[in-house]
Amino acid sequence: MLPKRAVLLCILVFVLAAPAAAGSIERIVTPSGNGLDITLTLTDIPVGGIVETLPDGCTWTEADHPENRTRVSGQQVAFAVIGEETIRYRVQGPPDAAEAFAGTWEDLLTGESGTVGAGEPRNPGPGAATAPGTPGFGCAAAIVALAAAYRWRCGR
Amino acid sequence: MTRRLLLLACSLCLLAGMAQGVPCDRDGDDTLTAPELATAILDSLDVRFMGGTAAAPSPVDLRDAAFVYEHWDGRALKITDTSGRATTLTRPLRRIALFNSDTLEMMRSIGVEPDRVVGVSKYTLEDPTYFPEYRGTANLGSVWSPDYEQAAAVRPDAVFLYATISQSSCDEIEETLLSIDPTIRFFRFDSYRPAVYADEARKMGALLGTEEETERFLAFHGSVMNTVAGRIASIPADDRVPVYLESWNDYKSAGKGSGYDEKIELAGGRNIFADTTVEYPVVDPEAVISRNPDVIVKIVGAGELVFGGYGGDDPAPFEEVCRTIESRPVWDRIGAVRDGRVHVIHSDVIGGPEYFIGVAYMAKWFYPDLFPDLDPRAIHRQYLEEFQRLDYDLDKHGTFVYPA
Repeated sequence: MLPKRAVLLCILVFVLAAPAAAGSIERIVTPSGNGLDITLTLTDIPVGGIVETLPDGCTWTEADHPENRTRVSGQQVAFAVIGEETIRYRVQGPPDAAEAFAGTWEDLLTGESGTVGAGEPRNPGPGAATAPGTPGFGCAAAIVALAAAYRWRCGR
Repeated sequence: MTRRLLLLACSLCLLAGMAQGVPCDRDGDDTLTAPELATAILDSLDVRFMGGTAAAPSPVDLRDAAFVYEHWDGRALKITDTSGRATTLTRPLRRIALFNSDTLEMMRSIGVEPDRVVGVSKYTLEDPTYFPEYRGTANLGSVWSPDYEQAAAVRPDAVFLYATISQSSCDEIEETLLSIDPTIRFFRFDSYRPAVYADEARKMGALLGTEEETERFLAFHGSVMNTVAGRIASIPADDRVPVYLESWNDYKSAGKGSGYDEKIELAGGRNIFADTTVEYPVVDPEAVISRNPDVIVKIVGAGELVFGGYGGDDPAPFEEVCRTIESRPVWDRIGAVRDGRVHVIHSDVIGGPEYFIGVAYMAKWFYPDLFPDLDPRAIHRQYLEEFQRLDYDLDKHGTFVYPA
């Protein structure tokens, strides 16, 4: 087998063998009036917790999340997740703060944790490597690597 | 020194075991409600990320609470195992030790991840082809020769034993381990008996929090068994195919109520020695000739016929066994021999948790016209790929039946 073809094959194997991302949270920030609407979309996190850090200059307004599952302290907001798939909250602040939100999450059933908006868990919990699921960011990254290797192989 | 450490470990286990209630159940009413769980989550996040100083549950309590809420509706779970013993749990089992490799296989079928298994039997470790993920897992010995030191050292939450095999040995294992660590829970399941197979799977699914995967597996298992049961249902008892089943020991058959008798019935056959009350009788060859079975099923894979299965790719010994049976003196008078209906099957697919694959094979052998579309090999492949999550190519490896 040609060495370059072997590299391509290795990358393909990586694509197929890449552990599936189990849990993830996506954040969408939409400017609205004099504030920002934030929507967190949760995937495969039935019971867990989220801590969002609001950018400087932003102040908490409200959320559609139950009050007894939400706790605000200064610039940080904690959400207890029990079955919710989306959480919407609103802050007052400038539109250019949209990129400055930060957050972390953890799945209390699998032990995974991750960064809000990062796509896949940074700490795949026990058993995550074999958990069934759809290929996530890791798979996409591998496909990009495959494309890069193809370009390299073709000398472009 | 080792003894002191063991004592210390046991004391810690005892202390942990003293927390009997459902974790994070603040009002102590034995039910963890959503508001109680939410408060526990927020307290924990507050202390760890937001500089809070309120009392927060430990990470272990919080994860256990999440499990109890999600899988057991926030309440303690009471499980009655196949031995009839009821056990109440208020926390999930995170460290499982098994002396029963059939139960280990069933756990894999119902989606239990291997990282929860801290100890396995020596038979599991001797079969790396089928249990590759347990290489390096603590060896607990066997039911008949357990390694107590190792079993205690892995600090199991629960130990799984057989329910109906070697009961006295299993009793002794329980007594000895309980004297070392009284907090260990014991569960007895067989995981290979058709009559309790689905019930055991459901109980283990509830116990281990894999209810959805369990139902998915049982749907697969049920589709095979229901297909067979549905088509043979219309055959009157007297018209059912007479079958002689022989174990790996020559002339050792299956009597009424034995596991193999049950499997012949499930496949629609009529066991010619079903009138024998001895579970596994040694029969007279003349009796086989006079009862004239239409089909002969010979089981290999144990005793002096250890070949084939997952570790053997050569079908030649299967063929030899088949020819030997066909050439027994005067057996050419038997319908099964005359008509070329002598079949050899490996115990892997008839004696353990994979028995339903064997039932599918037998049903097809008994009634080829009734089951033209039943593909036992495809069922076997799906079982390995989808439910055992094994990278095992049935087209290249293994020998399970003859003729194939």
